Amino acid sequence: MDLTLFGLKLFPKLTLLTEFNIFVFSSPQDEVAAEFTSLTKTLYDLRKAQEPAGYGGSPLAQLVVENFDEEQIWQELELQNNAVLTHFKNAIDGALSNGNLTLLSDEEMDADKEDERGVEEEEEGATDDENVSEQEEQLPRLSKKSSVEAEEGSDNYSEDDSDIDFDVNALEKQKKDKGKTGSKKKVVPSEVDDKFFKLSEMETFLDDIEKREGKEDDNEDELDYFRDLPSDEDDEINLDEVMSSKKKKTGKSSRDLKYKDFFDAVDNEPDEQQSDGDDDHMDDSQEEDGEEIDGEDDTEEEGDDDRSKASKKKVTFDLSENEDSEGEDIEEILKTPSPEKTELKSSFEKRQEKMSQKIEELENAALAEKPWQLLGEVTAQTRPENSMLEEDVEFEQASRAAPAITEETTLQLEDIIKQRIKDQAFDDVVRKEKPKEEVFEYKKRLTLDHEKSKQSLAEIYEQEYIKQTQKNTEKEENPAHVEIQKLMDTLFLKLDALSNFHFTPKPPVPEVKVMSNLPSITMEEVAPVSTSDATLLAPEEIKDKNKAGDILGDIERTKTDKKRERRHIKKVKRLKIKEKEKRQKVKEANKTGESKKISKTEVAENLRKVTKGGKATILKDEGKDKALRSSQAFFSQLQDQVKSQIKSTKERSEKKKKHIEVSVSKLKL
Amino acid sequence: MDASENGATAPEKHDEGESFTKVKSKKSQKRKLEPDGGTTMEVEQPNKRPHFPPISADKLRGSDEMRKVAVPAHRYTPLKENWLKIFTPIVENLQLQVRFNLKTRNVEIKTCKETQDIAALTKAADFVKAFVLGFQVDDAMALIRLDELFLESFDVTDVKPLKGDHLSRAIGRIAGKGGKTKFTIENVTKTRIVLADTKIHILGSFQNIKMARTAICNLILGSPPSKVYGNIRAVASRTAERF
Repeated sequence: MDLTLFGLKLFPKLTLLTEFNIFVFSSPQDEVAAEFTSLTKTLYDLRKAQEPAGYGGSPLAQLVVENFDEEQIWQELELQNNAVLTHFKNAIDGALSNGNLTLLSDEEMDADKEDERGVEEEEEGATDDENVSEQEEQLPRLSKKSSVEAEEGSDNYSEDDSDIDFDVNALEKQKKDKGKTGSKKKVVPSEVDDKFFKLSEMETFLDDIEKREGKEDDNEDELDYFRDLPSDEDDEINLDEVMSSKKKKTGKSSRDLKYKDFFDAVDNEPDEQQSDGDDDHMDDSQEEDGEEIDGEDDTEEEGDDDRSKASKKKVTFDLSENEDSEGEDIEEILKTPSPEKTELKSSFEKRQEKMSQKIEELENAALAEKPWQLLGEVTAQTRPENSMLEEDVEFEQASRAAPAITEETTLQLEDIIKQRIKDQAFDDVVRKEKPKEEVFEYKKRLTLDHEKSKQSLAEIYEQEYIKQTQKNTEKEENPAHVEIQKLMDTLFLKLDALSNFHFTPKPPVPEVKVMSNLPSITMEEVAPVSTSDATLLAPEEIKDKNKAGDILGDIERTKTDKKRERRHIKKVKRLKIKEKEKRQKVKEANKTGESKKISKTEVAENLRKVTKGGKATILKDEGKDKALRSSQAFFSQLQDQVKSQIKSTKERSEKKKKHIEVSVSKLKL
Repeated sequence: MDASENGATAPEKHDEGESFTKVKSKKSQKRKLEPDGGTTMEVEQPNKRPHFPPISADKLRGSDEMRKVAVPAHRYTPLKENWLKIFTPIVENLQLQVRFNLKTRNVEIKTCKETQDIAALTKAADFVKAFVLGFQVDDAMALIRLDELFLESFDVTDVKPLKGDHLSRAIGRIAGKGGKTKFTIENVTKTRIVLADTKIHILGSFQNIKMARTAICNLILGSPPSKVYGNIRAVASRTAERF
């Protein structure tokens, strides 16, 4: 305070000096200069002393002026001023951004203050000095005081938060009252107006934008509309976040925000919809700010507020049932739709109509779903039934297509057939016969020579070569020559024999030797190189197999075999006898007239037959008959016989007397 | 040499007449036909291609090549006996120079001026090598006469690792009684085979060598000779049919 008073006192003094002694300054005034410098120094020192820690000012604690040039002193001051300038700038920015928050409740206000401190890049808890400066900046604005006054008054205020808060609260209440009244100031109903859109508001907004664009500041406060809004507890909030105060009220994260958080309810009267008291405050403040903009040079913050407010009301989602393109909607509404003129449209108009129709069609076609023909790979399920039949499909085939059969082709074929029949040129299949080569012949072709070859390898190849090149040359002897030679030879031989004493006959002419053309192996080797049973005859081929089967010896026979043999013998014999009898009968029949003397053999035969059948027995004198040995025996026997006979006749008187044959064997005599 | 001689004679002539006369170089004399005479030499016309006069054949000939074939002791005497038959075709037909180096016991073959065909050297070397391996001179001569003949060598142990008696039996199987089997193979396949203890050398054309080699390998592996005969007969007839 001393400083300021001191300063205040000095200033008029100095100005007085300047007023009266204006020409004093034409020459260098050392005294005045010294006074000035000392004054500046004391001012600086005092200010520096009162500066809070971490203020961010110049590092110089005192202004050094002894033996310093003016230029140097200026530089020192500049150092301090630059530092302080940035500080003040930030303070102003913070104040601007927090302009809305001043009307909120106390807690939020405090929070805002804290945020602002954080925003202003100061680590420690800010002093009330700053708050004071900010608040004071806001307050005068709110209370419609000039900003210049506010800045000046900042130094005058004490460092009491409570007073300020109280003031702010009071102001808030003021604001509230004003806000309600001033909400409907600008709404001018027009035909275009919708639930969401108001023409007059749009116009005002456009005007403001234009104004703002005229004096564009450096855009420090551009909103990042796409950035995610942090939650309440987040301390590191920048200016931009602070601006978007919507999060504060609702306490939601950005992801949970709904339409009603951003925009008014659908009705035209926003203050009827009080979903959030805070919202309302917010709206009011914003509206108020918006109203003030017309009167003042607004800062960016206010402009942004307005922008956001305007954008809020500017939503024009066309939810109506109109299927027409949205862009045309407003235009159609704007130009008063007159009844369609059916009479006399100009050619241009007609063309335009057609064009527009065509355009519409094309657009619809473009927007609509493509037909299945144009969709890439189409399966049977994706296209209608039998639709492929109506299509002319073009595709490539790897193989040759089968020939199309037409009448012409058949006629051609028939012509060929007829011609062939006439020519008897049938393509008959010729039976193939496998050339059978005997092993013999085959072996003949390659004879194996087991001896060292007489010709050397060179000669062998030579001969082969000659054979290949000269196949057809053959030396043929003239048969006449051969005969002449032979005759001559014989002649000379005879002459030699006649003329010479010591005749030595010529050596014999080599005879024609019969060479059997067998492979040398068979000639050379005594034992056949290989023998096989295949060449021999089979035993069956030598002797036929017995129909009876295997020949068995006497010991090997089983019972059945023996019986079989016996049967066989008997059968054979029976047959023989029968044949004999037949012959006999035939013979007898032939010689009936001749003596009937029975031959000895026949007698014997008869006897045998008789005795065999058991019909008669030959009485042999063997001594077996007891009855003949003694008379007593004989008579007793006779007696017995007669008795039995009488008995039998008595018993069977009626019965025919059977001719009882008395068989010796039965009597067992 | 001739050129230098001529050049040498030229100054002498001059010297006789006058002393210390300037002698024109031979080169300049040669190029009289050129318009500028002796002054224009290399640098004057760089665009023109360099002119090389045709050289005679003997200058074109490189240095003489030589081949050496070592002769083991057991082939020394047969070499001596057949020396005439050996060197005659080499020298007369192939126009090469051949000698037997007694100190190193090598047969050395060299090209000379008269050699027309440089490939003859290889042929001659192969011929001598074949003889040294054990083939007859007449058989080895085929190498000179025919281009397509080759020489293949392999060991019995390469086919199947045999030791002791098995090895001896295998060699016996290959040879056969009195060399029968070996001759049979030779005759059927039109090759020549030399059986030197465990080493086998085959001389013949490529296909025939293959046939003979298959037959011998089968014998080593243990097939009986009759089977081998059958096989080679079949193969030989097939090849004969083709040609």
